[in-house]
Parts: sequence; structure tokens; C-alpha cells
Amino acid sequence: MSRPALWRLAPWTRAPLLGLRQPAAVLAVLVTTAVLACALASAPLFLSSARSAALQQQLAAGCAEAGWGQTGVVVRLLDQNGDPTGVEPVGAGTDRALADGWADVGADAAVAVAITAPGPVTTSGGGRTSLPARVLFRTGALDHVRWEQGPATGTAGVAVPASWAEPAGLAPGDTLGLGGATVPVVGVYTDLFAYDPGPTWCDYRPLFANDASADTPPPALLLASDAAVVDAVSPGTAATELLRQVPVDAADTSVSDATALLRDQARAQAAALSATGAPADLAVPGTRLAEAVARAELVESGLRGPVVPVAVAGALLALVLVAAAGSSWADRRATEVRLLAARGVGPVPLAGKAALELGLPALAGAALGWGAARLLVAALGPADDLDPAATTTALGAGAAAFVAGLAAAAAVAGLRARGTAERAPGSAPHRPARVPWEVGLLLAAGWCWALLQGRDAVVSERGVAQVDGLLVAFPLLGVAGAAVLTARLLTALLPRLRRWAARRRPTVFLAVNRLAAARAATATLLVAVTLPVAVLGYTATLTAGSRATLEAKVGVQIGAGAAVLSVSRFDPTPAVTAAGAYVVRYGSASVTDPEGGRTDVQVLAVDPDDLAGTAAWVDSFADEPLPDLLARLEGPDVDGRLPVVAAGLPAGPADLRLGSLPVPAQVVGTADVLPGRRTAAPVVLVDADRLPEVDRTAGADRTAELWTDGETAAAQEALTAAGSQRNRTIVPADVQTTADFLGITWTFGYLSALAVFVGVIALGGLLLYLQARSRVRVSGYVMARRLGLTRRTHLASLVVELGGVAVAGTVVGGVLAAGAVALVYRRLDVDLLRPPTPLLDVPWTALAATVVLTPAAAVLAALYAQRAADRADPATVLREDAWL
Amino acid sequence: MSGFAARGLTKRFHRGVETVTALAGVDLTVAAGELVALVGPSGSGKSTLLALLCGWETPDEGSLTLGGPLTGRRPADLGWPELALVPQALGLVADLSIADNVLLPARLRGQDETARAGLLLADFGLSHLAGRYPQQSSLGEQQRAAVARALLLRPAVLLADEPTAHQDRGHADQLLDAVEAATREGSAVLLATHDETAWARADRVLTLRDGRLTGGLPS
Repeated sequence: MSRPALWRLAPWTRAPLLGLRQPAAVLAVLVTTAVLACALASAPLFLSSARSAALQQQLAAGCAEAGWGQTGVVVRLLDQNGDPTGVEPVGAGTDRALADGWADVGADAAVAVAITAPGPVTTSGGGRTSLPARVLFRTGALDHVRWEQGPATGTAGVAVPASWAEPAGLAPGDTLGLGGATVPVVGVYTDLFAYDPGPTWCDYRPLFANDASADTPPPALLLASDAAVVDAVSPGTAATELLRQVPVDAADTSVSDATALLRDQARAQAAALSATGAPADLAVPGTRLAEAVARAELVESGLRGPVVPVAVAGALLALVLVAAAGSSWADRRATEVRLLAARGVGPVPLAGKAALELGLPALAGAALGWGAARLLVAALGPADDLDPAATTTALGAGAAAFVAGLAAAAAVAGLRARGTAERAPGSAPHRPARVPWEVGLLLAAGWCWALLQGRDAVVSERGVAQVDGLLVAFPLLGVAGAAVLTARLLTALLPRLRRWAARRRPTVFLAVNRLAAARAATATLLVAVTLPVAVLGYTATLTAGSRATLEAKVGVQIGAGAAVLSVSRFDPTPAVTAAGAYVVRYGSASVTDPEGGRTDVQVLAVDPDDLAGTAAWVDSFADEPLPDLLARLEGPDVDGRLPVVAAGLPAGPADLRLGSLPVPAQVVGTADVLPGRRTAAPVVLVDADRLPEVDRTAGADRTAELWTDGETAAAQEALTAAGSQRNRTIVPADVQTTADFLGITWTFGYLSALAVFVGVIALGGLLLYLQARSRVRVSGYVMARRLGLTRRTHLASLVVELGGVAVAGTVVGGVLAAGAVALVYRRLDVDLLRPPTPLLDVPWTALAATVVLTPAAAVLAALYAQRAADRADPATVLREDAWL
Repeated sequence: MSGFAARGLTKRFHRGVETVTALAGVDLTVAAGELVALVGPSGSGKSTLLALLCGWETPDEGSLTLGGPLTGRRPADLGWPELALVPQALGLVADLSIADNVLLPARLRGQDETARAGLLLADFGLSHLAGRYPQQSSLGEQQRAAVARALLLRPAVLLADEPTAHQDRGHADQLLDAVEAATREGSAVLLATHDETAWARADRVLTLRDGRLTGGLPS
């Protein structure tokens, strides 16, 4: 009679149900597979999230229209020589063609824009206005102006700016001649440059303000009440630009959304050109969205290099955990498994049995892990908007996690069943365990470090900063190798520690003996604590340092959190000095260099008593604090020379020139970096009250600046009230496009997430470590209680055992992190063009939390183990031990 | 020293709808200095009786009285010098060496019994295994270590479940010699055993069958 195939026997056919009767094993496999799936799925989701966030942040930094779909046509009636081109003027048909092009692709191009080229304007009195004017129609524009006169209702015409209307004596009801047409004035509005007109006018600023020079204002901007006014005027202008825009909320736009919009835009533009018969070179499609998408994809490609290996490393760690869960299954099913093994069932069928029992929990865990990755990226990632392709890839990763995790758990379970993986306490380690394979990791880290010496750690591609993958690989390999090597060396001391503990109290004696009896497990636990502490310390410090450095670079460039500039000449009022630190910049300044030539410098006349409270400053900028440096400006003249403080000039006499005005100076204080550095030229600070009067004729290129902590509205109002015209602000977004450096912060942000992830793995490993040895622990505990061991002493010994490992791991991890940071942080200069050099900003809060939480986790684990021991029935435990 | 007396001990186990009576009205007395052998087939309730006597199980009926200075105390509250046991599973702590296992009762009390432990290890032929873990030793060697641990503090009552099951004749006799020496020092000893030599050396032999105790050897 032939034996039935094993797979048809009850231990296998009933395996899925049997598996569910082992809640501890089910939970272990479910959780560990979830961790594995989360690790694998997080990478594509994170990259997609980063891509979306890079796009959104770029669009948020600019005007809203940058993220909109846009089609358009330029109608040129006159060529550059002023001769007619023969092109038909714009009409309602052109705009309709643009709108229809969008409608064909299912989009609502709700915003219509028409802008004429500037041209001369005559008033009803027959005279010409001081400035030429252009006409702008934009859907809803007149709802976003401040009216000084009007508007007249029921009349089509133009609204005129006050500064243009006043000299010409214009008022509502007057008429203007422009473009060969007569157009009524429907109202007078406050000049848009006189206040912050809001986001509606953001994209149109060049039409009403010349930030480069207050003396050369742009043509007056006449706002048409409807498109028909533009149609009427355009035949008499050189050119008219017609646009149709599809408003999009960029706050939750993904790259795939943007790419789809760009595809629609191309189709709509082609349809509009076809309908109007205009040649392609007259098309005015939106280009900023495409550029932003390209940069976002560049950010993502830069992230891929560090993120994918990190995700793989995290997944491998998680796979080890899943394998440990399989080992836990073998412990839980020890009786049946040993019986089957004794009956000749080999490791493969046993692994198959384990796979059948653990299949459902593994599947559930993979699904849970995918969901967790999705939620985590949505909650903590750069953005919540993911591309469908990334979600699909993540699903595939989850499936791979299920297959790989189940295979690992089953394989280990099968091996354990044959006893080849279980080692008795105190037995000699297998030969492979004696090989210091971690030296290979250290050698690999050293190789990466050597390669890094020959290249930039941070590279910039089209302005987007990217971290060289070696800068990520080197410390991770080094930390991992050093952690394992340190654990190996420390656990090698355990026998000596055991001899020392023999003369100590039972608490220490028992704890040390438990650690010494399971050296491999102790070493693994030590590594499991050291790794996340080290990686978290490293990544958190570099992230904080990168941010601090970027902020410092921006602050140095602006001078403070923000600045409002004015080229007007006025006396600073108390309101001005109350709104910020008043600084006068002389852009055309120089100093005699040692060779007798002239070197450009940036001279800033400041109030020494006021500047330090507002200026951007980091203590590493100079050997003394900024207030002390500024106090030197108030010191006595040196040989008739004005005391100045400089960055980039040596101490001693300096023959300054502000334009053509000589200013003998003495550098009495120096710094590596001074705030307000806008070019590479040295910066010189001088007391404004002691500087000689610099006349316009000196040609010193004088600009008044008001430095603030970040708020500019009050500064703008104060300057305007003091007589300044056409103020210009500089805010951090003007200095550096934040999106260009997202790759840096996100790389280390992802690494920080890895550290937390590894911490979760470490916690899981700790619980599995306790679970795996629970039978041995509980059996020893129940008998030891009879021998005289108190519950309190046992709990204390657990705290010493687990807390000792936790503290050792925290200390070693902290040291490794500090070493890795010391080696790397100076290489992480995200912007080589601007000072300062990379700053070290230690995130004390995060590190303190780690130092507190790690031992706390150990204490909780000790309480958990104690509770499990307390719940054991001595008679049952010893009876089961007798069976085994 | 103290003996103990059990009256009407009854223990039932409920397994689903089935109730199994492991012990039914067992009366048992072991005096100080007496060696009593408990005999019975597998499943007769020997281990259950020992678990009741050491306080790991609670009887459903009956009482257990301790004599001498242990009068009025419960078995579960007794320390190792008062009641020591050698369970069938031995109960050695896997994380401690053989020597540390033997010394553990003294260490937990802050007592130094190094000399006595050394003697016991030498008597049982375990000196060369002092530094090994239990799992690095044979079952017989582990069993002798468990007996040495039980005898370390000269217990008033000693309960042992099959203490010679894994021993050759020579080592079994060594263990029985040590147990007899303990009885001469006043210990009350109850051995659950299939070892006929132990039966012969016992002061009394009790047979347990189907949860009931009778005097004399099994038929």
C-alpha cells in the first residue's frame, strides 16, 4: 500500500486552520510581514510623494498662474520696423478658438487674458499723456483693485492708475484715444505698486512695477472692463496677446496631474492654432508648468539614488525579522514539529507546513504593510498626492513582500525544525559566525569614502541640488559595520563579565548570565539598538544642519529674515526704524587693494545699536558676537580714519571709495561672514551717523533697505509713508528656490524615517527575542521562584539585562553617529556659492527623546517578560518541559 | 525537623466536558527522618500528588498539615531550606552553569555554601562539569545536579519525582546514599520512583493506582 503524499495528510491539509490557533505566531508573522511590506512599498510611494511635493513647492513659490494650463496667440499687426504685417486683428473669434480648444479636451479655461503692446494715448483735450499705456483685460481683474474714483457702472471702458491719471487730470467719464479707438475712462484705481495688491496681480507685476529702477516706470496699465474693449483697441496697437488659462489648485497637484494637463494644453493649443490659422511660432502656451515638472522629476531622480538602496537595506532588515518570526513559529509548534521530524519529515515539507500555517497572516500583513506605507507617506511624506503608477508599483512591492516574507519564514521554520539553527546556550558558535564579516562592510564604507574624496558630495544639476549616493552609502555601511564589530567585541567580554557578576547580587548575576548564555542573541539585540540610534542621530543632525545652513545662507544674502528695498531718497522716520533695521547700501564702492588697484566692496551704513537685533547671524561667523563687532564702529577714529568692520578685508587701513567719494577707513574688526552679502565682494559695515554725506553726484548707487524678521507689510507702509516710492521686497523665496534643495532635506528625512523604521524593527526583534526564549525563561523562572527568587529581583534582573543592552546600544550608537557626522557634515555644502560653510546644528530634542525612549522601551519589554513569567503555571510549565 | 501529613487529598482536572479525578481521597504521612517510596504506573497521579504537596496545585478536597516548626504554614509559602523538590523535568536554569544551578538556592539567600556544593558535586561525579551549561551535559548528569541542588540547604522536606530515572546503577546508588543521609539528618523524604532498589531502601512503600493510595508494593 503506497503512502499518501505528505501534502494530503492532516498536518498539511489542516495547516491553515491550525495556524490560526497560534495567535502569538500569527501576530508575529503578520506584524513582521507588514513591516517588510511597508519598507518595500514606501520607496516608490515616497519618491512619488517627493516628486509631487517638489512640483507643488515650486508652484507655490511663484505666482498661481505658473501651475495653470495656458494657451495663447500673439497677434502682431506691426513688425519691429513698425510696418503692417497684414495679419488680421484680434476679435472675439480668436478668444473663442482658444476657449473651444480647451473645451475639446474637457477643460474649463475660465480665465481670459488680453494684453496689448504699449502705445501712445491721447486725452479728450487732445494732449498726449506722460507715459504710454497698454490695455489689459483679465477675467475678474477689476474686482481686485482699490478704487479712488468710480467705477462707473454699465459702461465699457478702461480703469486708469492714479499716478498716471492725476497729471493728465483724468476722471471717470473722460475719454482716451488709444489704438485708433476712443475709450471711456470708467474709474481711477490706486497704483498697484503702492501696496500689496494680492495674488491676483502677482503674475502681472512686471506690467506695473519696474523693480530694477524706480526712475524708469513701465507703461501705464489700463484695465479693460471687458474683452470687447481690447478688441476695439488692438487694431491700432503693434501686437496683442490673447491667453486662455485653466486655473488649477497647485496645492494638491501631482506630476501625473500636471503631465496630463500639459498634454491637454498641447492639444488645445494645436486646435486653437488650427482654428485661427495662426502659425505655430505665434503660440503662447504656458511653459512654467513644464519646467516645474522637469525640475520635480530631476529632484526625484536625485532622490532615487539614495532612497532605493536605503529601502532595500530596510527591507533586508525586515526580512531578518520575518525569518525570526518563522523561528518563533517553530518554537510555538515545537512538539508537533519535533514529532514530525522524528517521523522522518524533512525540512522542505516542514517548511511547506509552516508556509501553509503562516500564509494567511503573511497575506494580511503584506496588505497591512502596504496600507501603512500609504498612510505614512500621506501623513509624514513631502506630499499626499501620489501618481497612480507609484501606487501600482507599491502594490507590487507589497506582493513581493508577501512572497519573500513567507518564503523566509517558512525556510527558517523548516531549518529550525531539524534543529540545525537552534543552538544550546553556551555552545560554541558555528565557524561562519566567527568570521568578522562586518569588516567587509567597513571596507566597503572606506572604499565609498575614498571615492567621495575625488568628487563633490553635493552636485547641482540644472540648479537642483542632489546628494551623491556615496554620501548616504558610506555612513550607513560604516555605521552598520562598526555596530556589528562593536557588538562582537563587547559580547566577547561577556565571559569576563560573567566571572565578575558571580560575586555580585542576584539581580546582576542573573542578568549577566542570561546575556552571556545567549551571546549571539545578545549581540543581535545590541546591534538592533545601536543601528537605529546611530542612523537617527546621524540623519537628524545632518538634516538639522542642512536646514540651518540653508537658512543662514539665505539670511546672509538678505541680511535678515526679509528686506524691503527702496531707491528713493528720504529721511528715515521713527516708524521706519521701528519697522526694522535701517541700512543704506552703496553698490558702487571699492577699496584700494595691495597692488594699488581697486577692488569692489559692498558698503552697508548701519545703526550699530539697532542692527544686531534683526540681522541674520550665527556665532560661527566671527570670533566675537555681532553686538561686540558693531560696538567697534562707535569707537574713536584711528589716525583720522573711520572705523569699519569687514568680512573679506584684513584689519588695518582701507581706502574706501563710495562712488567717487573717498572715505579713509580703518578695519577695526573682522568676520568670516557678515549679513547683507549680495555679491562675492567683501562686505564693509560702517556707522551711518559717522559716514560723510554721499551726494547723488558721487554715483555710489545708493539703496535704502529695511531689514525685518520676515514681515514686510509694516516695513512697506513705513517706507511709503516716509516718501519712498516703488519699494521692492526680498524674501527667502527670492534668494533660493526652495525646491532646488528639497532633494537634500528629503534624502535625510527619508533616512530619518529609516532610522525610526529600524527602531520599530529593533522593538519587534526585542519582542521576538523575548518570545523565542520565553519557554526557557519561564521554565527557569518558575523553578527559581521556588528556590527563593523574588518577583522583584527577577524583574530587576530583566531591567538590568534589557536596559543594559539598551544603554550600551544607545551609547555606541551615539558615538558612531557623532563620528559619522564629524566626517560628513562639512562635505554637505548645499550651495557652494554662498556663505557660510556647513553649520553643525545638533537636534538636542530628538536626541534626548532617543536617549529616553530607548531605555524606556527596554523597561517596558522587561515588564512584558515579567508579566508572561508571572502568568505561567509552574506545574504546567514543568510538565510540558518533561514531555520535551 | 518536620514531617507532613495529607488527609483526603482529592484533585480533579476538567478537560472540556470530561472530568478526570487524578487523586481521590489520598491519605499520606511522612515523618521527619523517614524515606517513603511512592510507586505507581504512569498516569496514576504521582506527579499530581507531588505538585499538591509542594503547593503548585491546590487540592479540591482534603488538607495538608506540616509538622514541627512548619506547623501552620502552607507548602506554597515554604522556602528551599524547608521544602526542596526534584521535579521530573528537573527545572535547571538553562542560563546558569551546573555549579551555579546547584548554588542558586544559597545565592538567592545571600548564603555561602560553596564548600557544601563542591562536596555534593564531587559526590555525584559532577565536578568536571561545574562550568558547563545543563544542555551541554547528559540527562543523567543534569538529574544529579538537580538532586544536589535539592540537598544543598539540608531541607526539612524533600520531594523527588523519579530522581534516578536517568541513572546507571552506580550513580543511582550514589543518589540514594545521599537521600538516606538526608533522612538521617531529619529530612522527611518522599520519592516517586520506579527504581526497585529505591523501594528496597525505603522505610515504607506506598502504591498509587487510579488516584488511590495503598500501602505496600504494587502487585
